[in-house]
Amino acid sequence: MRPERWIYALPLRLRSLFHRTKADQELDDELGDHLELKTQQYISQGMASEEARRSAVLEMGGLEKRKEECRDARQVTWLQDLVQDIRYGLRILRKSPAVTVVIVVAIALGVGANTAIFSVVNGFLLRPLPVPSPEQIAVLAIQQKDAPVGSSGFSYPEFVDFREQASRAADIFGIVLGTVQFTANDQSQECSANYVSGNFFTALGLRPAAGRLFLPGEAEMPGQPLLVILGYGYWQRRFGGDPRAIGSPIHINGKTAAIIGVAPRQFQGMYSILETHVYLPMSAMIQEESASLFWENRDRRRILAFGRLKPGIGLREAQSSLDVVSARLARQYPATDKWFTLRAIPEKSARPIPYANNFFFAVSGLFLVLAALVLLLTCMNVENILLARGSARRREMAIRAALGAARARLVRQMLTESVLLAILGGGAGVLLGMCVGRWTSSIHLQSLPLHVNASFDWRVFAFAASSALLTGLVVGILPALRASAADVNSVLHEGGQRDSFGIHQSGFRNFLVVAQVAGSFTLLVVAGLFVRSLQKVQSFDLGFDPSHVLDVTMDPHQAGYDEPRAAAFYRELEPRVRSLPGVQSVSLASYVPMGGFPNSRQVSLEGHPTPPGRQAPGVLSNSVDPPYFQTMRIALLRGRVFTDSDDETAPRVAIINQTMAARFWPREDPIGKRFSMEGDTGPFMEVVGVTANGKYKTVGDDAEPFFFVPLAQNFASKLALQIRTLGPPESLAAPVKEQITQLAPDLAIADIETMNQLLTGAFGYLAFRLAATFAAALGVIGLILAVVGVYGVVSFAANQRTREMGIRMALGASSRDILHLVWLQGVRLVIVGIAVGSAAAGALTRGMAHVIAGISTSDPVAYITAGVLLAAVALFACYIPARRAMRVDPMVALRYE
Amino acid sequence: MSKPSDLVQGTLDLLLLKILALQPLNGFAISLRLKQVSGDVLQVSDGSLYPALHKLEQEGWISAEWKTTENNRRAKFYSLTRPGRKHLEKEADNWGRLATAISHVVQLKET
Repeated sequence: MRPERWIYALPLRLRSLFHRTKADQELDDELGDHLELKTQQYISQGMASEEARRSAVLEMGGLEKRKEECRDARQVTWLQDLVQDIRYGLRILRKSPAVTVVIVVAIALGVGANTAIFSVVNGFLLRPLPVPSPEQIAVLAIQQKDAPVGSSGFSYPEFVDFREQASRAADIFGIVLGTVQFTANDQSQECSANYVSGNFFTALGLRPAAGRLFLPGEAEMPGQPLLVILGYGYWQRRFGGDPRAIGSPIHINGKTAAIIGVAPRQFQGMYSILETHVYLPMSAMIQEESASLFWENRDRRRILAFGRLKPGIGLREAQSSLDVVSARLARQYPATDKWFTLRAIPEKSARPIPYANNFFFAVSGLFLVLAALVLLLTCMNVENILLARGSARRREMAIRAALGAARARLVRQMLTESVLLAILGGGAGVLLGMCVGRWTSSIHLQSLPLHVNASFDWRVFAFAASSALLTGLVVGILPALRASAADVNSVLHEGGQRDSFGIHQSGFRNFLVVAQVAGSFTLLVVAGLFVRSLQKVQSFDLGFDPSHVLDVTMDPHQAGYDEPRAAAFYRELEPRVRSLPGVQSVSLASYVPMGGFPNSRQVSLEGHPTPPGRQAPGVLSNSVDPPYFQTMRIALLRGRVFTDSDDETAPRVAIINQTMAARFWPREDPIGKRFSMEGDTGPFMEVVGVTANGKYKTVGDDAEPFFFVPLAQNFASKLALQIRTLGPPESLAAPVKEQITQLAPDLAIADIETMNQLLTGAFGYLAFRLAATFAAALGVIGLILAVVGVYGVVSFAANQRTREMGIRMALGASSRDILHLVWLQGVRLVIVGIAVGSAAAGALTRGMAHVIAGISTSDPVAYITAGVLLAAVALFACYIPARRAMRVDPMVALRYE
Repeated sequence: MSKPSDLVQGTLDLLLLKILALQPLNGFAISLRLKQVSGDVLQVSDGSLYPALHKLEQEGWISAEWKTTENNRRAKFYSLTRPGRKHLEKEADNWGRLATAISHVVQLKET
């Protein structure tokens, strides 16, 4: 319609919408007026007044029909119909509140579970990096032979070579992850830091929230002043968002530094699950490593590299440019650069961190499938209820059809009702999902800046809305078609409430029950596997005794201590803590099990030089002092533990674990054998002891080689003081802190946690517990839905057969027979459902092998528990209607109609 | 309803627009005028008149106003709008072409 016409048409539309009664009144007036004038005309032509009136009306050809045509001309009828349908729908929903509540709750559970899981997955994997054109960002991962992608980083010279030589394809930038001690206003805190290349912020295209960001060329020159950029969240928490923080004097690791800016609000670093507190120039790395090693050594691989692809350059082209550079570097530096190739991976596909062999994808996928299954169960359940109600309303529909309602109109009205239900349920579901999402987001770990941002963005809302609407349509369409398809004549002649249920329909309902039981069984099995896996993991032998141990981690280096001073500090601290009441033993270690990533060292055996072109195998290690094995209660199988005489001047020694012994010296006595962490030429360490295996990185790990070296021969500044206590370890936290503060007032304690607390963390049981919690919640929802479904169908069927029961009883069937009759029907369905569910669960759980630990995916306990639980609950649900049927009085049943 | 004088689909709109182009009228007067100008050949039933008027109104070709008539009754008077006038011109042209074409065909000599 051309705009000019709208000047006339639009007010009319609005009027017919919002002043409908008035418009209708005017229509009545107009037509009435016409009739009156016509009547008068006929009277004046000589007709009797009665006759005249009749003729006038006749000529109109059905007054109401004409009015309806005039109203149709308004072209807003569909909207009015909709409003009418919604009103009517709401009335119907109010009329049977119990049914409505059941349906709304079912949909809320289904949509809520989906929304919650989707919001977590969205936070992990889907939400793009909050930078301009995020699709251009790629992760550059090193692919070694015989090693997973990204298990190693770049050295600085390599990084620079790639950045310069591939600059036509991408703007390559890099970071090094670390932690620093951040001191401001006389308060020190441990912070997560990114040491960034100068082009980090410009390549990402970020603008500062305050101050300025690093510029290319900055941040990579040795010896320049220490400039700091704060993460937005940290700026808010530490400085209350005060712009005066910029330029204020602070200390990073005890060195004077200046804050020059704040990163933008949305940006929390390159990783969706890791919050970065401060950004430092890459040159600040030198404090941690000797300068020449970092800047020049091609073997010091600590930089994680990313690239922003140049406009118009696809991932393929970028990859081929990088391949050219890798080949060139491999020729130029065969010793260091020959054994890897580079892969550019879209940033989103490399989440959460490039190291991970992306088991997150598997878990996310699995949980999305489970959530979809819950939604499917919800649909089937609601479908069932609506079908039952639809058949009760066939009479109503038939009457409406008899009064002239078109079938499409009836379907539309029924669909409006189911969509209304879906909207109500969906709304409640979103709220439910938000609560779960908020709970997940609130898991902040003490020791790590890990953070799942499960907040709701448009993606989550779109997902929730579409799943709710889809539910509404899916569950609504079939009952709507069925109810409206009723043959008017037969329904109206049937009389009474009885509803002629065809075999066909009861078949479909039986199918629904079987499907629900099967789906619920699958959910229960998965939940069972996760719960069993958690139990197993918790009962794993850790190789040490975690009870009554307090871990206090600190890094005097960060407070500006050099090595001798740090060593002196620890030497003084240990006896002080040991003399505290309630302390059994005290030891120091550079790494606490399940407390982060341990050092991996390349191990070369004496007399077995690494073949050229191969990497020496990496083995995890820990520097510990002599009382360590006593404090941790690690079982020594052979040889001896470290003693005080294993100091700097003594021959170098090491203690290895069983797996390392078996892998490196199979069928040989490892005691007395020698190996090196510094290449084929040594210096070599002599193996003096063998310990039992333990868990080192995460509780779910398989047995892994590991070795210990004496702290005195391998000093590290960042150490954990581990204290075995007699009483509860928490009670020692305050006195230990006090001792540390007395000795080193300017030193921040990085972390103080009991070993058991640590075990509940990210590297401990957390993932298993979360998975088990979510899976169990889904399992319970599925169980409830299935039970409601089974109960509904069986009791509906029993009601349908009331008359039949009456006849059977009249013919001599005992009430026990009736009980069996009804119950057996339910039992059959449940058994078939469980059988189908076993097959489905078997197929689904096949992919779960590496997300559970300690049990196989066909764990009989999980299957049997799920089966017994489901069968018991479902059979009870069948029993209730069966009992009711049994109590039917034959006389009443026969008179029923 | 007798069919012989049933209007060709769409021509009723044209007639109504033309009548209203001459002067604003109410529904009853329009029905009288229709019969009058077509010499009773075109009989538009009262039943189809009003829906047609309402449709034209909703389309924006004509607008309606409640006015008091000579004999002091309130009645709904329809009048042509500016876009309605343009529309009428276009439709009249179309009709002219169609009528000429059809009369040519009808007058073909049978052999």
